[in-house]
Amino acid sequence: MARRLPVFDATRGQPVEIRIADTAVRAYANESIAAAALASGTRVMSRSLKYHRPRTFFCLEGHCSGCLVRLDGVPNLRACQSPCTPGAEAHGQNAFPSAEVDLLGAVDFLFSRGLDHHTLMTGSSVLNKLANKVVRQLSGLGKLPATQATSLPAVGNREIDVCVIGGGPAGLAAATACAKAGKTVVLVDDQLQAGGSLRADPATGRETANARVADAVKAGVELLERSTAIGYFPEDDPDPAWLHGAVLGTSTSATTPSAITTTGEDVSTVISTEHLARGVLAVATPDQLVRVHARAYIWATGGYPVNLPFADNDRPGVIAARAVGRLLVDHGILGGEKICIVEVPQLATETERLAAALTAAGAEVWRVALDDTHGTRGRSWVSQVQTSHGRIDCDLVAVAAIPSPASEGPRQQGCRVVLDPDAGGFRVVVDDAGKTSAPFVFACGDVTGYVGPSRAAAHGALVGASVIAAIGGA
Amino acid sequence: MAKKIVLCRCEDVTLSDLEHCVDRGYLDIEEVKRYTGFGTGPCQGKECLGPMATQLARLTNKPPEKIPPFTSRPPLAPTPIKLLANAPDAHRFADDPDPKRPGTEPGMGVGKR
Repeated sequence: MARRLPVFDATRGQPVEIRIADTAVRAYANESIAAAALASGTRVMSRSLKYHRPRTFFCLEGHCSGCLVRLDGVPNLRACQSPCTPGAEAHGQNAFPSAEVDLLGAVDFLFSRGLDHHTLMTGSSVLNKLANKVVRQLSGLGKLPATQATSLPAVGNREIDVCVIGGGPAGLAAATACAKAGKTVVLVDDQLQAGGSLRADPATGRETANARVADAVKAGVELLERSTAIGYFPEDDPDPAWLHGAVLGTSTSATTPSAITTTGEDVSTVISTEHLARGVLAVATPDQLVRVHARAYIWATGGYPVNLPFADNDRPGVIAARAVGRLLVDHGILGGEKICIVEVPQLATETERLAAALTAAGAEVWRVALDDTHGTRGRSWVSQVQTSHGRIDCDLVAVAAIPSPASEGPRQQGCRVVLDPDAGGFRVVVDDAGKTSAPFVFACGDVTGYVGPSRAAAHGALVGASVIAAIGGA
Repeated sequence: MAKKIVLCRCEDVTLSDLEHCVDRGYLDIEEVKRYTGFGTGPCQGKECLGPMATQLARLTNKPPEKIPPFTSRPPLAPTPIKLLANAPDAHRFADDPDPKRPGTEPGMGVGKR
């Protein structure tokens, strides 16, 4: 069972009461719904789409689909990114009658060897029509919201020098460096609180994260919290007057053609991608959409926690090692009493640090290599890991895999990426200065290949400096 | 729970689904996406694209650098549609006439707003 550690009580915030699956639960203001659910013993939050296997959070960073719940009448919200507001009501989805006991879970056993929907019931046209009807009833996630939106928020705009996406150690360092050099900087972070992996690493933790965020804000960085860069639209150029000013700001550069300094000329037709990044980055904040036009972009989106391939790796209770670290150092919650870490050799240092911190907090910890891991056992929560050296009884499995680079934003901006198994996925290709293959688009930290929490800040500062040099001016 | 190695948890795509897909001759990452549905759930491939592509490289004996990612499309995260409703051009379809570009042909969505 997970439990709250008393040494962290001072940082939890006010106690609040919320309801999860119609049960009253004691929570705290600084906790997410997912953290409060785990600490109160709620184990299954929803069911998977096809086989209705039990699901709960895996990444705790808002990037997997494990913790989607219906919250206060709104479907498909991420419990790990929803704060515990007094009276909040969360319900599981995609299950009948409840997430914990779901009759549709029978599908998993009926199709224990897999289900190819391309050939399912295609032999007879009558059967096929019937099957389609049933499938359409069952598919889709969640039910429509209880109420309609009453007002549509206005769209915001930011016309700035530098936009940094991702508020982890790399992004914070890059943004702070640019702001200190006098640049106007917007930092977009999608978590409940900025800090990224600093909030999951026992070597740093909540205090370090808070201090670095405060430094960035003090340096003049505008922080958009709980905000996601949702897309890049190359055809949507900024106001020509701003473009004009933005390019004139770099007029000391020898590459600026004299033609554009002629007043009155429509600069949007003469400025090429040699001079600044084009298009608009759409950022969804909790209240509105913000269109960001920046002279340069820095992607510091890090990597997503991913699972490792072993049997029943999706059983609730199998969660990312970084989520276990985040629960411990950011939420003050020990995720289990007997924790089995399944790991890859590349992360030995980080895993050692996590194992030591969990042991110090009072847990029993085992470490198993992926190659020795055969599968998990249990019902709707893990109770055992099967290994080459026997079975390990546990109540939590932490998966330490190399985070997969969060490169889909850079890909939209035209950055070259390459599949690199040692980087956990498609990493953004950068040069020594952090330049990508797209003009005025830079990247730093884990999105360029695994750097790790210890070295990410230095990489961010280095790339910040090269951005300052690239856009010129004081 | 029946024994499964799950690679994409949103759409319940397993390692054996991927092997079945490769056996049937779908070897390109976009084909695999369309056949299995991986990467089309709420996470849009954040958790599964890297591991799926790595397994695909192994199963097809291709060097990893020869496997491209599937196309990335907005929105990159679940977004309430009310945020987009007031965006400039939100009510314009891609094939509608563009006021900024005179001479563009009317498209199917014209006159409905």
